[in-house]
Amino acid sequence: MRQALRTASFQLLPGLAILAGLFLLPLSYFFVVSFWQVRTFRLRPDATLEQYARVFTEYGSTLAWTLAIATLIATVTAAIAFAYAHYCRFRAGRFGDGLIFLSLVTLFGGYLAKIYMWKTILGGTGALNSALMALGLTSGPIPALLFSPFAVIVTLTHYCLPLAILPVYGALRGLDDTAIEAARDLGASGPRIFRDLILAQARGGLTAAFALTLVITAADYVTPLMVGGPSSNMIGLFIQSQFGNRLNSPLGSAMAFVTIACCGLIVLTLSLTLRALTRPRT
Amino acid sequence: MAPLVELVGVGKGYGSATAVHPLSLRIGEGEFVSILGPSGCGKTTLLRMIGGFVTPDEGSILIDGRDVTRKPPEKRATNMVFQGYGLFPHMTVAQNVAYGLRIARVARTERARRVAEALDLIRLADLGDRAVSALSGGQRQRVALARALVMRPRVLLLDEPLSALDLKLRLAMQEEFRRIHAQVGGTFIFVTHDQAEAMSLASRICVMEAGRIVQDGTPEDIYRRPASRFVAGFIGEANLFEGVGSDERVRLSCGTVIPGAGAEGPIVCVVRPEAVTLAADPAALPDQCDARLFATVEDVVFLGPEVRTTLRTDSGAQALALSRTAGPLRPGDRVTMGWATADQQVIAA
Ligand SMILES: Nc1ncnc2c1ncn2[C@@H]1O[C@H](COP(=O)(O)OP(=O)(O)OP(=O)(O)O)[C@@H](O)[C@H]1O
Ligand SMILES: [Mg+2]
Repeated sequence: MRQALRTASFQLLPGLAILAGLFLLPLSYFFVVSFWQVRTFRLRPDATLEQYARVFTEYGSTLAWTLAIATLIATVTAAIAFAYAHYCRFRAGRFGDGLIFLSLVTLFGGYLAKIYMWKTILGGTGALNSALMALGLTSGPIPALLFSPFAVIVTLTHYCLPLAILPVYGALRGLDDTAIEAARDLGASGPRIFRDLILAQARGGLTAAFALTLVITAADYVTPLMVGGPSSNMIGLFIQSQFGNRLNSPLGSAMAFVTIACCGLIVLTLSLTLRALTRPRT
Repeated sequence: MAPLVELVGVGKGYGSATAVHPLSLRIGEGEFVSILGPSGCGKTTLLRMIGGFVTPDEGSILIDGRDVTRKPPEKRATNMVFQGYGLFPHMTVAQNVAYGLRIARVARTERARRVAEALDLIRLADLGDRAVSALSGGQRQRVALARALVMRPRVLLLDEPLSALDLKLRLAMQEEFRRIHAQVGGTFIFVTHDQAEAMSLASRICVMEAGRIVQDGTPEDIYRRPASRFVAGFIGEANLFEGVGSDERVRLSCGTVIPGAGAEGPIVCVVRPEAVTLAADPAALPDQCDARLFATVEDVVFLGPEVRTTLRTDSGAQALALSRTAGPLRPGDRVTMGWATADQQVIAA
């Protein structure tokens, strides 16, 4: 037993080394820094919670706004991703894998290309406004289409969608068709099968899709800058400026860690809710 | 008595290919019927039509006198044990078994009692809390069976439930199936491509060939009086001698004429290997062997309880004889094969 344990830990070593080197070490550095201070433009080691206090007093509403919008985007994205992956898995037959690949191809355009694409579509002289005016539905361009939270939501949802589809599709592919037939045979209706079998087993994939979108969105500062209006400032912009022209990495680190912690809590809530919803019973 | 399951002219095709030709079948309460046939002959399609997973192109299906042809599986008094089991991998054994009862809103205490009873029946009473992923193949098979049986279906459909198991486990499970059928009653329709399994389990066998039921009878019937060359060759081992029949006699292709009532014109004479007696000297054959044939011994294999002798008749046909003792025969020996015409079956070819 002890021997087995020792071998197991030995085999884990390379993985742990990568984890530590690439993720834990840099993160812990900034975690330590978040308790430091900046005095006269110099970083001073300290053990103060001052930066954390400032996050909540000065940036509390920005943080709340960011988390709200990120949660909205993650929910919409995960829902669309689930619908698309569900279609590919259960309705598209042998075209399923091809459709998934197609959705991934859109990633090749890159991040900025997607942003500019939406700028062109949503702008005052953009495709959408022109179409609306041509159809006589509006008399002039709707300015709120671009430079608004709406534009941020649309752009980020579109960007994250392929990334969110992957884990959901992975989970759905693992489902056993015979098990679904067996459930029908035992009297289960469509919605019942959806909850008891499909959602219950794709729970992890769905949570992963949500979490991925949530962290990408909550940390993003390019999209709000490019397509968001003055009202859609998100925390990423402020974190970036603390590390940049404000030269206050302790505050920036504290903001980042509070954001990460909040995202973690949101994901945990979703995960526990899904688990409770789909828990098998005797 | 009205049959429990009745198929009337039920057929199904996929595109231009016919999987099941229109056929009719009546199965009574409490029967243990086996649908037997080679791979691709339409057994699964037939079973899935009874279960409601495949809608027939034509004909109707009645269960207990009610037409269920268009009813989905969840609305039928049938339950199915699938070839791949289809267990719910994220549930424990007990949760798997309880699933159908939960759907049917059976009260908690009653549910617990019936699940315990079902687990007891399949001898897995101690494994209720085990994850199904931690079960062996045979145990999974039994959970799939319990999950269907706990619903107390009027008709239990089984699609090659034992095909994934090794021989020893398969034999043990066959015994379990017999015990369970005797214990719970109900009608079992059991699909298999293994003739030995069908013979040992069922009281009635429907042999299928290319989408048709070509013979329907007791195991003994089918073994002793095969209706066609296909059935004779598929069920057990058989010597098939070709010939021409006329006037209560049969002229085999090697020229020998033997007594044999049956068809006129081209025929096949079916003789089971254990009915054949071999002798170097024709005079040594017992009197009841009124049909005789010359052959050359090709191989003699001692199998323990029996000896398998392969032969070639003078017309070049392969033949086989099973006997208790080897005698002094060796490959190359000229022998006479003898059998009683009462043991042979003459079928129009
Ligand atoms: N969904 C389908 N689409 C097209 N053809 C099918 C489909 N299902 C079955 N078939 C065809 O119908 C015929 C009968 O199939 P079926 O599955 O009933 O055979 P089976 O007797 O159960 O075979 P096996 O012993 O291999 O399970 C086969 O030729 C098969 O290729
Ligand atoms: Mg089959």
